Amino acid sequence: MKLAHAFKNGKLLKNVPLKWSNWYFIGLRLAVASLLALLVILFLLLHQNEADEQRSTLIADVLWLEQSVNFELEGTTEQVQQLANDLTKARDKHALLELRSQYLLKNSPSLKELVWLDASAEVIDSVPSGKLPRLGYNEPADDVLASRQARVIEMARKLRKPIYTDAYQTAEKFQFEVYSPMFESGQYQGSLVSVYSFDELLQQIVPWWFAEKYQVHILDGDGNQLASKSKIENLITTISYSIPLDPPGYGLVLQVTAYRSEGNLVQSLIKTLIIALAAIVLVSLWVMRNHIRRRLVAEQALRSEYAFRKAMEDSLTVGMRARNRQGLITYANPAFCQMIGFSAEELIGGKISSAYWAPDETERVLTFQEAVIEGTAPREGLEMRFMRKDGSLFDALIYEAPLIDADGVHTGWMASVVDISARKLVEELARQQQEKLQFTSRLVTMGELSSTLAHELNQPLAAIASYNTGCLNKLQSGNFISSEIEAALVKLGVQAQRAGRIIRRVHDFVRKSEPKRAPCDIAEVIIDSIALIESSAQLSDVRIVLVRELQGNSPLLLADRVMIEQVLLNLMRNGIEAMRDTATGNRYLTIVLKQLDEQIEIRVCDRGSGIPVAVQEKLFTPFFSTKSEGMGMGLNICRSIIEFHHGRLWVEDNPGGGTISAISLPVEQL
Amino acid sequence: MNQHVFIVDDDEAIRDSLGWLFQSRGIKSLAYSTAEAFLDDWNSSLTGCILLDIRLEEMSGCELFERLLERKCKLPVIFLTGHGDVPMAVSTLKNGAFDFVEKPCNNNELVDRVIQAFEQDEARLKSVASMDSINSLINQLSARERQVMEKILAGKLNKVIADELLICMRTVEVHRSSLFSKMGVRTAVELAQKIAANSG
Repeated sequence: MKLAHAFKNGKLLKNVPLKWSNWYFIGLRLAVASLLALLVILFLLLHQNEADEQRSTLIADVLWLEQSVNFELEGTTEQVQQLANDLTKARDKHALLELRSQYLLKNSPSLKELVWLDASAEVIDSVPSGKLPRLGYNEPADDVLASRQARVIEMARKLRKPIYTDAYQTAEKFQFEVYSPMFESGQYQGSLVSVYSFDELLQQIVPWWFAEKYQVHILDGDGNQLASKSKIENLITTISYSIPLDPPGYGLVLQVTAYRSEGNLVQSLIKTLIIALAAIVLVSLWVMRNHIRRRLVAEQALRSEYAFRKAMEDSLTVGMRARNRQGLITYANPAFCQMIGFSAEELIGGKISSAYWAPDETERVLTFQEAVIEGTAPREGLEMRFMRKDGSLFDALIYEAPLIDADGVHTGWMASVVDISARKLVEELARQQQEKLQFTSRLVTMGELSSTLAHELNQPLAAIASYNTGCLNKLQSGNFISSEIEAALVKLGVQAQRAGRIIRRVHDFVRKSEPKRAPCDIAEVIIDSIALIESSAQLSDVRIVLVRELQGNSPLLLADRVMIEQVLLNLMRNGIEAMRDTATGNRYLTIVLKQLDEQIEIRVCDRGSGIPVAVQEKLFTPFFSTKSEGMGMGLNICRSIIEFHHGRLWVEDNPGGGTISAISLPVEQL
Repeated sequence: MNQHVFIVDDDEAIRDSLGWLFQSRGIKSLAYSTAEAFLDDWNSSLTGCILLDIRLEEMSGCELFERLLERKCKLPVIFLTGHGDVPMAVSTLKNGAFDFVEKPCNNNELVDRVIQAFEQDEARLKSVASMDSINSLINQLSARERQVMEKILAGKLNKVIADELLICMRTVEVHRSSLFSKMGVRTAVELAQKIAANSG
């Protein structure tokens, strides 16, 4: 259930940011796409606008130009018609023509010549020279052109108004003519022909500013260029506009082409910049996208890694605990929580890191922590006692390692904690087993020992006896030198010492000799032991008090009296020594004897300084001693003896100060 | 008599104290720390007795005893034993040891036993000396006389001897009287007694 919940949570955690980023990315893409589209549209619109504007300007300009041409031609034609009318009435016709022609030619440079024709189209006069090639007068004569001229003259006569001719080519340029008929009293008298040059016309009409903006052409109906005016040749044209040029008509077209607009430099610069910036934005967005994609992949990997680690930590049986540099717990894995019985919430953040320290080990823990900070903590870890939430104690082995974050900053310590109480228990049992085994093997060795001992001892004893007998023999015979007797006796003494050494050497072994259990009165044993130690107790100003909490007779125990006595003497001696620093009046050694069901309990209570817990634990380990001259075997042997009697020996604190050494022995049915 | 107690013991104190003890009773002693040392020193002309510790380093007392028997050493041997070694000591007695003494012991009794051993050795030497004299008498006999003597000791009559040796009876009688006189006896019974006494 819990697992499923966790899994669900994990899934939620995993998906929400992904969805968010999906929407975010779709939105982002849409925004970028619309931005681009709008930019393109904006440019198109601007362009369109500009083209339209250009076109309308062009059209307006073209219309203006056409009108100017029209106005010029119509104006001139009208003046020529007036001159033609005047000529019919004038007396000095040639002088009038000369005068008025000069004026006309001067005013409109496009008018190249005025020619006076009679009714049969013969030239009467021409101004200025009459040398200009004209329609129908080219050499060699062209019948088509001549007939065209005739048709024009005919039209002018019939319509009684000036008629324009089609364009025609002379040696150099294109020209056209206007025939203005002359009537006198309704009779056709001839016509006045004005010869115009297209080039001159354009030169005259198109102003300089127009020419800078536009290329102006005059085309005939077949698209041949008749005249043009422009400042720049051969430019790719963007837009052009054509309008029929009437007069002179005949399909002539006035074509105006706008040069490519040099454009507004600032405007195009801005455009270029906008495009460049848009490109940069796009590129950076692309780069950003790739970056984010990589980040997402990394995040995903991190999340999987985290989940993996988490599963690993949760499955660990080794407790993990992280602390920051202030000693506050920042992390505790389930195994650690289970080990000490506090929940992770209770541990993390709160300054209760000391809550699970064994009360009497606080100092040691602090020392260890200082060692960790200084980096001198033992690599093989430290054994420590921890207290569970319910107050029970257990042994733990701690390894600490510095916690370094991604920036290389030391943020705290990570510790792994192993519960070794089970291992310790096993070790303790194994040790006890070993002790028992040693004890048994000692008993077995006793047999062997006695034979070895006998042989070893035999040697010096035999030698002593021989020296002795030799001396006696000498003395009895009366025939001796005292120096040789003395030498023999010295040797005898040496052998006696040798025997003593052997005895001493074996003594340690013999100390644990096989006990001989026999029924004995425990109260009597205690009284005997007290009697044995009384004198040394008095030397130390210690008073020994025996308290019998027994109903009726004291029970009989099956025990080795001497051994039990040794144990009691040992415990009492310890008690007396423990009270060395106690006030003289307070030096009481109380021996309490009581019976609990099938157990006899003997308590030796002193009023000494007591024994620290750490020392209490070690009291029974071999070779541990609080006394400078001690072997560290006393209590160990005592316990072995009591255990041999199926009893128990332990040490506890005396509520009134000092220590109580207690023995319990089973009362056996005899 | 030039008799010695040959003490073989690996314990220096024991050697020294026993030496002192024997000296106090006027007995000369020689001490050896190992069986090998004694074997190196031994020859058949030694007289006295051997005092031998059963437990010795390297070669044990029993082994030394066996070696000495192989070399036909006739010296009486007294074993010194610890308290665990009694069965071993008894078996040595069966092999012809003179006695064994358990350590620690009443030392004057030990000295008395040594003196007894000396006496036994002396007696043995004496008997060896007499045997040597008879052997030298026998060596004086001729081959034929020795043959005749063997037949006589076998209890055969002159006539039978003559038949077996394919000689005449008269010749047998001559040989007989000749060897009797050489051996210093007068009758066949005397001869038999003299030979028997020595070979025992």
